Amino acid sequence: MPLYTTNYVKGAISEEAKPKIAADITRIHCDVTGAPATFVHAFFFEESSELPLDGQSAFLFGRIRGGRTDAQKAQIVNEMQESIHTHTGLPLDDIKVATADTPAKWVMEGGDLLPEPGEEAAWLAAHEAKLAAAAKVSA
Amino acid sequence: MTPCLCLVQEGQIPDEVQASIRNALSALSERAFGHPAEFSWREVRSGSGFTAAKPSTASIVSLVAHKALSQSERVPLLEEVCDIWMRETNCSIDEVVASINDPAPVTGD
Repeated sequence: MPLYTTNYVKGAISEEAKPKIAADITRIHCDVTGAPATFVHAFFFEESSELPLDGQSAFLFGRIRGGRTDAQKAQIVNEMQESIHTHTGLPLDDIKVATADTPAKWVMEGGDLLPEPGEEAAWLAAHEAKLAAAAKVSA
Repeated sequence: MTPCLCLVQEGQIPDEVQASIRNALSALSERAFGHPAEFSWREVRSGSGFTAAKPSTASIVSLVAHKALSQSERVPLLEEVCDIWMRETNCSIDEVVASINDPAPVTGD
């Protein structure tokens, strides 16, 4: 978490563009929120009937941890929309980006509940220590 | 029915393992929520899944509870979901993301 899913009409996003957009999604999310890159998942789907398109050629939906400000969310939306535009050539008004909040305490990643925004460094240190201890026991 | 979304990477989980996972998660759902799971199983095509901007091996498992849960109810279930996933797929703990969401609030008159 965050989980960014992009649904797009057939051919709108090339195979070459996906890693570039995914890199931008990761960089933008981390720059705006301070979250570690390892938390950021970016998945692409071509014409998935189970994901929204809302009449657009591409719809990026981000499920992010709650606690971000409206300004942070707006920056994420604007910069990710620009990224898709840059790497696909789609018009900006044919690309939709939206986010929704999920409480961190509802999500487990790496076997631990996700940290609240701003508590990532302590979480990562504790998580890595836990994994190292487990590896030592199993060695 | 308990909505259960599973996002997996293409080719990562054989059909027989998927069936075993569905059985285990549905049993968990029946026990915890009183209803079997209703699955939305989506494969992320090769070259279309990224974690930390690199090709992803992550699976996302997301259930919606029948009622708002306390953390003392939610956390053991999350741990059980992760245990099921690791046991059935042999993935590492860092390759599974589990969420158990409260139901959306009812709005309107």
